[in-house]
Amino acid sequence: MSHADNLAPIAPARLASPGRLLVQGALPMLALVPLCLIALAVDARLFNGVSVWIKPIKFQLSVALHLLTLALLLRLLQPAWASARGIRALAAALVAAGLFEIAYITAKAAAGEASHFNVGDPFHSAMYSLMGVGAVTLVAGAAVIGALILRRPADGVGPGLRLGAGWGLILGAAATLIVAGYLSSQGGHLVGGHLAGAQQTDAGGWPILGWSRQVGDLRVPHFFATHLMQALPLVGWAADRWAPARARPAVATAAAIGLALTAGTFAQALTGRPFLGGV
Amino acid sequence: MLFGLDWEGWFSIAGALAMAGWAILILAPRRWAALNALPFYALPALLSGGYAVLILLHFADAPGGFDSLAGVAQLFESRPLLLAGWIHYLSFDLFVGGWIARRADAAGISRIVQAPILAATFMLGPIGLLLYLASAGALRLIDRRAPA
Repeated sequence: MSHADNLAPIAPARLASPGRLLVQGALPMLALVPLCLIALAVDARLFNGVSVWIKPIKFQLSVALHLLTLALLLRLLQPAWASARGIRALAAALVAAGLFEIAYITAKAAAGEASHFNVGDPFHSAMYSLMGVGAVTLVAGAAVIGALILRRPADGVGPGLRLGAGWGLILGAAATLIVAGYLSSQGGHLVGGHLAGAQQTDAGGWPILGWSRQVGDLRVPHFFATHLMQALPLVGWAADRWAPARARPAVATAAAIGLALTAGTFAQALTGRPFLGGV
Repeated sequence: MLFGLDWEGWFSIAGALAMAGWAILILAPRRWAALNALPFYALPALLSGGYAVLILLHFADAPGGFDSLAGVAQLFESRPLLLAGWIHYLSFDLFVGGWIARRADAAGISRIVQAPILAATFMLGPIGLLLYLASAGALRLIDRRAPA
């Protein structure tokens, strides 16, 4: 790339590959993190009992992680598929959805207002619906890539990594749609007493994550469900490397444990009980 | 009043010109060179010309200066100079937006990723620039360590 900008006529852009597009999408999100950390240090405003900046930082990091995970796992596809036009369109949709979510969440946080669950007026109601569309896009897109990895892996991809990546994305997507779908239809992420929505405060919760230590918190199963998308590929990769003969059972076991954790913490949260309450 | 239009009127015109430029930068195809010449050169030049007229007419007599924050506040108590300051923002933010767009095109950064960066530059100028510098810098580092 030329460093001299001499106002020359526009150079033809080389179209980014799907994987590269996903990486490009993650970068502005990550660029926001240091800015929000500085804001976190100096801004005294609270939301749900914690700094207004905690939530945007968490989402910037996790949505960037999601896009980067997909960029990495796309390399497991046969090259013809990895750069196919349909995959590029999917990557474009994922990036657009992710950037929209982050822009909105960050802007609302800067204003000290809610992004999720904010249905107080027609505009915010519509935006919350759009957030839902964006979130489903991010998750469903992962499942599509997972299915392709299972069916069209590149040469040389070990069975552990193929199964871990493919099923990690599919199961992670399915579990996330169930848990986060339910979560989004409630009025908040806390469940206290009789599912009536405990007073929304993250104060006194886990550091950074903010998980409640007093009442049920639906973000706990959401965490386990969604990070299956990183956990299973990692297990598969490790199995290929150190126990290739047992790669399949290793991934299957990890999947079972992950799903059990998700289901268990989901049931726990629904009954209003905190995760690791005494800790 | 300038040429029969009051300051609010000129404010609206300047804003509309800038908005047109941003719409082209964010939405229009880059291969239409003549259209992109508007936000790249023509509109910043036009807005700068407007700024120049305001300064030439009103700066010399205005109380205040650039030596302190209080001095600047005094300067901006003059409506035409406040308008000039605003047009300075509009012109330079648009020019920076064009700069970002050209360099992002050369680096192969997708228009989808450019859009929020340009929108941030439009609404909150320096924040958009920061996001671009960080993202493009990171991309260069990544390319150096792991050529695509």
